[in-house]
Amino acid sequence: MPERFRLTEEGKRYLKRGLPEHNLLSALQAGPLTVGQAGRTVDNLNIALQWGKKRGWIRIEGGAIHLVKTPDAIPEQEALKSVSRGEAVSEELTRILVQRKLIVPESALLEELQHLEGKAVTQLTPEMMSTGFWKKVKLKPYDVTVLGARIYPAKLQPYNHFLSGLRRKLVELGFREMTGPTIETEFWNYDALYQPQAHPARNWFSTFYLKGASLGELPNVASEVKKAHERGVSGSTGWGYRWNPATARRLMPRAQGTALSARTLAEGPLTPGKYFAIARCYRPDVIDALHAVEFNQVEGIVVDESLTFKNLLGILEMFAREVAMVEEIEFIPDYYPFTEPSVQMSGKHPDMGWVEIGGAGIFREELTKPLGVQVPVIAWGLGVDRLAMFKLGLTDIRELFSRDLDWMRKTTVI
Amino acid sequence: MPSVEISHRDMEVLLGRRLSLDELRKLLTIAKCPVEKVDGDTIKVEAKDTNRPDLWSSEGMAREIRFRTTKPGLRVYELARSGIEVIVDKSVREVRPFTACSVVRNLKLDQAALSQMIQLQEKVASNYGGGRRDIAIGVYDLDKIKPPIRYTTVEPDGIKFVPLDFEKELTPRDILTKHPKGLEFGHLLAQAKRYPMFIDSSGEVMSIPPIINSNFSGKVGERTRKVFVECSGFDLVRLSTALNVVSAALAERGGRISQVKVRYADRTILTPDLKPGKAELDLSHFRGLSDLQISSREARDLLRRSGYGIVGEKGGKLQVLYPAYRRDVMHERDLMEDMLISHGYDRIRPQPLRLPTVGASSEIEEFSGLISSLMIGLGFQQVLSYTLTNRHNLFSKFNLEDQPVIELENPVSSSWSIFRNWLLPCVVEFLSNNTHVDYPQRVFEIGDVVIPDESRETKAVDRRKLACAIAGAVAGYQDISSALDAVLRSLGLQCGLRACSHPSFIEGRVAEILMDSGRIGVIGEISPAVLEHWKIEVPISACEVDAGVLLERVAGIR
Repeated sequence: MPERFRLTEEGKRYLKRGLPEHNLLSALQAGPLTVGQAGRTVDNLNIALQWGKKRGWIRIEGGAIHLVKTPDAIPEQEALKSVSRGEAVSEELTRILVQRKLIVPESALLEELQHLEGKAVTQLTPEMMSTGFWKKVKLKPYDVTVLGARIYPAKLQPYNHFLSGLRRKLVELGFREMTGPTIETEFWNYDALYQPQAHPARNWFSTFYLKGASLGELPNVASEVKKAHERGVSGSTGWGYRWNPATARRLMPRAQGTALSARTLAEGPLTPGKYFAIARCYRPDVIDALHAVEFNQVEGIVVDESLTFKNLLGILEMFAREVAMVEEIEFIPDYYPFTEPSVQMSGKHPDMGWVEIGGAGIFREELTKPLGVQVPVIAWGLGVDRLAMFKLGLTDIRELFSRDLDWMRKTTVI
Repeated sequence: MPSVEISHRDMEVLLGRRLSLDELRKLLTIAKCPVEKVDGDTIKVEAKDTNRPDLWSSEGMAREIRFRTTKPGLRVYELARSGIEVIVDKSVREVRPFTACSVVRNLKLDQAALSQMIQLQEKVASNYGGGRRDIAIGVYDLDKIKPPIRYTTVEPDGIKFVPLDFEKELTPRDILTKHPKGLEFGHLLAQAKRYPMFIDSSGEVMSIPPIINSNFSGKVGERTRKVFVECSGFDLVRLSTALNVVSAALAERGGRISQVKVRYADRTILTPDLKPGKAELDLSHFRGLSDLQISSREARDLLRRSGYGIVGEKGGKLQVLYPAYRRDVMHERDLMEDMLISHGYDRIRPQPLRLPTVGASSEIEEFSGLISSLMIGLGFQQVLSYTLTNRHNLFSKFNLEDQPVIELENPVSSSWSIFRNWLLPCVVEFLSNNTHVDYPQRVFEIGDVVIPDESRETKAVDRRKLACAIAGAVAGYQDISSALDAVLRSLGLQCGLRACSHPSFIEGRVAEILMDSGRIGVIGEISPAVLEHWKIEVPISACEVDAGVLLERVAGIR
């Protein structure tokens, strides 16, 4: 029976990627290369040079490799293919391939394995598989109750994971995501929301302003917003003060996510339409465990002719059930500058007790009409950070943006 | 949202009956003044409505509760004439042009009443009056004043008097530099050449608004039987509302309000004006908004239980009167909310939405999620940082010259004073916080940076960036570039690399990432000098790439 041969690891690699001399010849088709250049594209260049010269396919002159001639085929390459298919090749080629350590006789492999015959071994090897020698050894049992070394999967940042889940939930509930610029004009952040220019929030202590900043642009609806503030629209008295466009043009980092709702309304929302935003907001708050100068607000709007106060409660109830996972809820009166009527909802969380979950209201007509929206718009907001902190076992709001890799590696995703 | 302290006992006195804490808590919640904290008799509430200064004292809260429990309907205040005149000098136009005043007699002020009066004055001036700038309020012992009163101005050193709670006479200028209130509010007069002043006909200074009263007439105590109240500021309408709020609160304790003649150069007005305001309520609008089938009679009842008066009905519209201490009634919606509150939110059944809408997350968030999943697949842990940072972290610690950025004018902390204009520093900062954690560390962040851009509506533009880094004994250029390549190939994209020079990276081991010959990022091994600045003792290879551009390309491919 003729000797059977097996490809070595190197042989298998060349079978897949081509012999070095083959790859060199391919690279030289475009013209001569320096040794350095060839080295970057051809693995094992030394082997390639050795066989290329020996066969008279290349010559080295003036530090460059030149192509002398391209053979029709490289016999070793063909032979390698044949061996891999279990076919016999000429004695000469067999000798060369063995010498180049690209193939190895099965008998040699078996010989190496011989001393293990009948013994208990730990490691099952590829040689045992290719020769069938595995049948002649006994594989030692392990203590399968012992775990391997502790490793940690890479994953989403925990707070981001929470927000992604929330985003998915809101999308499932039929809401479209709104996005908008980090730097806003006061117009979109306040004026368009019918917050008067003398509103207590519009000062140094509640709003960040920008250093040396020029003024932003006002949209066309600004003239209607001005009217709403000064004289009122839709039967309203308005605030009754002189509206200053320069104040509205001042720039600031977004201080409330509702700015995005104002932009959506001005752009002409779908009706019926449901929108949400997970908006990064900025306020010069005192920094402590419950306040950060940068935080997320989750809020949005619902637009439809048919909306009533009962729907307002209905939306909050839905959020209680679907987002906060609480059943027992309570509605209480609240005040938001841009909604009337306004409602706050608390819910009885199974572990946290009674917590404020969110609030909602119907946008004032002084807000919606100037932006060109004639139907009722419900605005809602959810206090999700406390929920996130609870879920992640945090007591400090700053830890939502954790800087602790060890904690991130170890924390669960549930 | 002012936080207001009241006394449980005082509330019982004002309401004329005993109340359990729970009962009081419920009633206060409905009045939009939920209880925050209880400490013995002291109850701290958070007055939610920033437009309802009338609710910022126990008198106002008790009045609101009475409407809904025992005494519905408009609260009417009888007005007498005090015969007192305030003569307004023309010179105040320059500094603090308006005042409105009142007199309240027949007072019996106990400690609770006094502390409520002082607190109300403070809360109204600070929260409704723009930190005393727009509205300042003074209350005086009328028995110590000799009318007529002049509202005029004085040279900073033009007069001397003893300010409240002081023993020594000071000039107005001294008050601004020595008296605690002068130090606190002096900036409001920083630009003034002459200071505003109330002074009586015997030449006794009453006050320097908006800073301080005199110790002589500006001190009110348990023995005070009648007071003079003045509000000064820039907007006569707003400060009249403030005057009404304070006067009406005193009237709730049995005080009798009298009007004062305020003589301006061009006109004379009688203040306070407690004539109720007029509003209309279209019943069909209320039925539509509330989805409640409510009769006209029930609607009237709800209005009365919210403290409104009704004078008739014209064409389906109720003619409503609202009290003069309220200025928040701008639109019939404001009436409707009060009616709904009086009806009881807990008596209204929520109705689920049934709108046929299709949900969708934004394209950039969707795409960021996709990139995140690829990065996680490559073994990179996601991190999340603030977009606010500082010049030191962004530039000097990265061997970079200062660059134009969006900067806060009033940062709370110098650590968070500018918006990042590149993302990689946040990732490296993260790694610097974790030098004690096992290496290798592979982390990434996907988030916005903010770039100044004069051509934009808001003179800035957000760019979504991906930054990733490998830190550890083996963290070479090849490792990070193969990760970048893997992400791009998975997105069906390809990039070019071109050697470049970048002070944050090792010379000869940094490249620009190119796509369609445009630069979309940078990749390389962080310079040891930068690592030293961050106190990191292992090599880091890192890259930053514009995810927004990747999205545009991917969208183009689709």
